[in-house]
Amino acid sequence: MIFFINSVMQKNKSGIEFAQLRRIELFNDHQVDYRLVVRDWDPKLHIATREAGIDDDHLINMFEYFQNAQKVEEKPKHIEDLDFGVPETHLQEEASRYLVFSKTNQLIARANFTGEDKQIVSTELFDGFNNLYRVDNYDTRGFRTLSQWYSPDNKVDTEVWLNTDGLPAVEKFYKPGNDGKLQTTGWRLTDRTNGKIYMFDTIEELTVRFLDDLNDEFWSKKHPNIYVIDRGHVADWGILHLKRAAYSVNYLHNAHASAQDPMAEIVNNNYEFTLNALDGYDAIAASTHKQNHDVEMRYHPTAKLFTIPVGVVSDKLLKTKRIPMKERIFGKMVVFARIAPEKQLDQLAEAIALVHKQVPEVTLDLYGYADSTNNYEARRKVQKVIVDNDLGDVIHLKGYTNKIDEVENQAMLYGLTSDMEGFNLGIMEATAHGLVSVTYDVNYGPNEIVEDGVNGTIVPYGDVEAFANATIKILKDPQLTQKYSTEAYNSAERYSEENVWQGWEALMSDADKVWPTKIAAMNYQA
Amino acid sequence: MYYFISENVFGLNSGTEHSQARRTRMFNDQGKSAYYVSRNYNRFLYRDLETEGLEHRFSLNMYDYFQGTLNVKRRKQNIRLMDEVPLDEYQVESINPNYSIIKHAGRPVGRLNVLPGTVGLTMSVESRDIRGNIVARENWDWRGFKSSCDYFHPDGTVASRTYYNFAGEPVIEETWMRIGKRVAPSMRKLINYEGHDYRFNSENELFKFFLDELFKKDKDAIVISDRHTLDNVVADIQNVKAKWGYLHGVHTNNAKSPVNGQVLEVYKTLLEQRPADFTGVLVATEEQRDDIRLHFPMANVRVAPDTAISGTHRHKKGDRPKIIFVGRLGADKRPDHALVVMSNVVKQVPNAVLELHGYAPTKQAREELDKRVDQLGLKDNVVFGDYRSQKDLATVYRDADVILQTSNVESFGMNLVEAMSYGVPVVTYNIKYGTKVLVQDGVNGYVVPDKGIQAMADRVVKLLTDEKDWSQKSKAALKKASEFTFDKMIGDWQKALK
Repeated sequence: MIFFINSVMQKNKSGIEFAQLRRIELFNDHQVDYRLVVRDWDPKLHIATREAGIDDDHLINMFEYFQNAQKVEEKPKHIEDLDFGVPETHLQEEASRYLVFSKTNQLIARANFTGEDKQIVSTELFDGFNNLYRVDNYDTRGFRTLSQWYSPDNKVDTEVWLNTDGLPAVEKFYKPGNDGKLQTTGWRLTDRTNGKIYMFDTIEELTVRFLDDLNDEFWSKKHPNIYVIDRGHVADWGILHLKRAAYSVNYLHNAHASAQDPMAEIVNNNYEFTLNALDGYDAIAASTHKQNHDVEMRYHPTAKLFTIPVGVVSDKLLKTKRIPMKERIFGKMVVFARIAPEKQLDQLAEAIALVHKQVPEVTLDLYGYADSTNNYEARRKVQKVIVDNDLGDVIHLKGYTNKIDEVENQAMLYGLTSDMEGFNLGIMEATAHGLVSVTYDVNYGPNEIVEDGVNGTIVPYGDVEAFANATIKILKDPQLTQKYSTEAYNSAERYSEENVWQGWEALMSDADKVWPTKIAAMNYQA
Repeated sequence: MYYFISENVFGLNSGTEHSQARRTRMFNDQGKSAYYVSRNYNRFLYRDLETEGLEHRFSLNMYDYFQGTLNVKRRKQNIRLMDEVPLDEYQVESINPNYSIIKHAGRPVGRLNVLPGTVGLTMSVESRDIRGNIVARENWDWRGFKSSCDYFHPDGTVASRTYYNFAGEPVIEETWMRIGKRVAPSMRKLINYEGHDYRFNSENELFKFFLDELFKKDKDAIVISDRHTLDNVVADIQNVKAKWGYLHGVHTNNAKSPVNGQVLEVYKTLLEQRPADFTGVLVATEEQRDDIRLHFPMANVRVAPDTAISGTHRHKKGDRPKIIFVGRLGADKRPDHALVVMSNVVKQVPNAVLELHGYAPTKQAREELDKRVDQLGLKDNVVFGDYRSQKDLATVYRDADVILQTSNVESFGMNLVEAMSYGVPVVTYNIKYGTKVLVQDGVNGYVVPDKGIQAMADRVVKLLTDEKDWSQKSKAALKKASEFTFDKMIGDWQKALK
C-alpha cells in the first residue's frame, strides 16, 4: 500500500493538500490503490474529504483508526437525541447553541450546534454544583468522539477519545510541570483489537505506533508499504523508528534552503530534520529536476532522488482547443496566488506600474485569498502601489475563484515574483492554458516550468525593472508572444498525467526492487 | 420481603453489621426472604461477606446492582496474567509482595497492585506518565474483574470514576469537583439504565433511586434501617409496607442514666425530626423501650432481638485458664479496665491468660493498650488476638473460661450471647441495657458494680479456681444462650413487626 501522510485535510487547503488531491486523482485514474493518512484529530474531517472527492475507503485518520471509527453508522446528533440525565429540562436557543436548564433554572448544559439542521457539535456539561466538568465533542457523523474532563480550576486535565461503544481508545493527560503549568505528559492507547494498554510520552511516539499498525495491517511480502511523508513534522522522525521494514519517501514541497541559495547554511526549518537524517529514508521526491540536483550536490545522499511534479496537467486540458493570442484580451496579466508576504505581489504591481507607462492597455488581475498576517500586510502593500500610481483601473484584486479556464483563456500573461517556491501549480496551469509567463528566477518550479526564451521570460530575482522590460518586450512583439504561447502549450506536456505517473511508477518499482533485500535484512536483524 | 439497610459490609465490622448480617441469615434460615442492603462502593464486598459468614445471594449492594454483577463468581486474576499488559513490549518486575512495576525500556509506565492478603492477585492497575504521575487507574473487584476506572486532577486527587458492568460497559460516572471550598464527589450519573441517564447530586440521592427501584418490584417490602446515617434516605422512601429503625446502641449521651441524657445526633432523624416517616423504632430490650417512651410518649417502640444464634456448642477445656474480651478496643468498651482486672487475677492464678479480640479504632489506642500491658507486667498473661471473623471466633469462645464485659454501656451484648452459646460464663459490670436481660448474678455468671474492678477480679478468680461453681455457671450460660436460637427469635421478630 502507498500512504500519503499529512496532518490535516481541511476545507481551507494549502499547496500540500492540493498536491495530494491531484496525486489522488492520478492514482484513481490509474486504478492503483492508496490511502490518504491524516494524523491529527478533526471531527469535521469527513466533510472536508468528501467535498474534496476522497472517499472514506481511501482515508485513514489516526484517531479514527484507534477509535475503530473509520466507518460508522451515520446519525448526526440533534438536541432531542441528547440525554442529560435530568428530568423536565427546558431550552433557551441562542445563535449557535442551546442552553439547557433544569426546572429550577439551573444550567445543566450548553449544546453547541452548527448548520441549518442544528447538528450538535459539542456539549458542555455541568454538575449540580455549577461546575463545568466535561465537554463532549461529536463527530459530524454523529458519535461522541472526544470527552474533555475539566479540573476544579477549569482547565482540561484529561482528554479521552472514545470508540463507538463509548470506551476509551486514546487518552491524553495533562499534569503540572516544574513551573506548575499543565503540560501534556502522556498518551495512552487501548488497542482496538486486543485491549492491550500502551503508554506513550508524545504524539510522535503514538504516531510511530500507528504507522507500525498500518504496516502490519497492509503487510505484503510482494510489495513494501510505501510511506510518502508530505508534511514532515507528522512523521519525519517517526518513520525512522518503525518496527518492521517499509519504503519511506520524504516529499519536498518547498525549497529546502532559504531564499534563492540552495547552499544557504540555514535550511528551511520544515526540512531541517529530514535533510540531516536524509539517508534514513529510502527516497526523496521533489517536483523539479533542479531541486533534486541541488540536493544531490549538497548532501550526496544514498536515499534515491525522484522527480515527480506535484502538478498534473489533465489530459482533457492538454487536448483542449488552443486559443491564439489575438483572441485574448490584449495586455491582460493574471496571477493565481494567496495575497501573502512570500508572494511579493507588491513587486509585481510595481512592475506593472512601469509597464503601464509604455503600454497603457496592460492590466493585472490577482486571484486569491488575502493572507491575514500582520493585519493583511501583503494586501495593504499591493493596495498602496495601486494608490501611489493611480492604477485603480489597471490592477484588480479579484478574490478567490475556481474558474481558472474562463480567466486564463482570456488573458495573455502570467506573472510571478515570489521569493520561494516548491513548484507553483499556478504557473504550470497558466502554461497549460497557453499563457506567456514572466517570472523571477526563483527556486523551485517557476524557473523550470518557464524556460527562458522558449515559453516565457525569466528575469533576475528581485529585478522589478527587468520584469517590466521583459513584459513590455513581449507585449510589443505579437509574433514573439504567439511563439511563446505555442511553446507554453507544448511545454505543458511535461506535466501530463502520463509523464507524472511515470515518476510514481519509477518510485514504486524502485520500492519493489529493494524490497527483497529489505526483508532479508530485517529477518537478519531479528 | 425484608430489607435491612446499611452503608456497607466492612473488612472490620462493628456490632451493627454483625447484628444485621446475623438477622439476615436468621430470616432466610427461617424461610423469610431477607436482604442485607448496602450503599457503599466496595470492591471487596464478596470477600467481606464471606468473612462475615453471609452468603452473597442475601446481599444487595447498590453498585453491585447497577453494575449488574450480583452473583458474579470469583475468578482469581493474577497480576502476571493480565490480558491488558503487552508482555512482548513491557516487562513486569516484582518489587515486593504488594506491587509490581510495568517497565518500558527500563522506565516505569505502570504499576500492578496486589490484593492484600493474597499472593499476586490483582487489586488495581495504574498507568503512569514520564513524571511518575498516576494518570489512570483500573480498580479490580475481589472477584477478578475490572470494576471501575479513575482519572486524576492535576493535584493527583481522583477526578472522575467510571463504573463498569461485567461486560465492561460504563454504567455509572462519578465526578469530583468543587462543592463550596472542597473538592468532593459532585455528581453520579447512571448511564443507560433501562434506556435512560439519571444524574444525581449525592450518593444518597442515587441510593434513594436504587431503593425505589428495589421496592418498585416488591409491594410487600418491610424495611429496617440499621445505619442511622441513612435514616433520611429511608424516611423518603414511599410505597413500602413498613419502615423501621433499629437502635443498635443507647440512644442518648448519658450512659448511666439514658433517660436524663440528650438524644445522640445520629438518632435525631428517626426519633425527633422524622418519626412520622417511620412505622416505628425497634430496640433490643424492654428497658430501653420504656426509656424511649419516657422521652417520646407518642413513639411506636417495639422490642426485637438484637441477635440470634444458630445453636449451642460444646465447651472444651483449654491448657490455660482463659479469659476473653470480645469487642472493639474503643474507650467506651474500656479494655484498659479488663487489663487492670487481669493484673489482680494473675496474683491468684498466675498462668491465667486474657485474650482480647477486636480492632482498635486508632493506632494510638492500640499502642496505649500495649503500654498499659507493660506497665502492669502482664506481657505473659495478655494476648491481643486482633479482630476475628464470625466463623473464626468459634475457636476463641470454645475453650474460654470467662468472658469479661467492661463497657460503660451496651444496648444488648451479642458477644455475651455468643460466648454463652459455648458455655462460657460472664462477668460484667452492671450497665445498661442488655446486661440485665443477659446475665443473672450468681446464675450464669456474675454482675458487679460499674467500675468494680476488684470485685470483678474476685469473681473471675472464683470461676477459675472453683470448678463446681464454674460448672454451674457454664450450664446456666448454655441454658441462657438457648433462649436466643433462630427458631425462637424469629417468633419475637414476627411479633415485633406485626
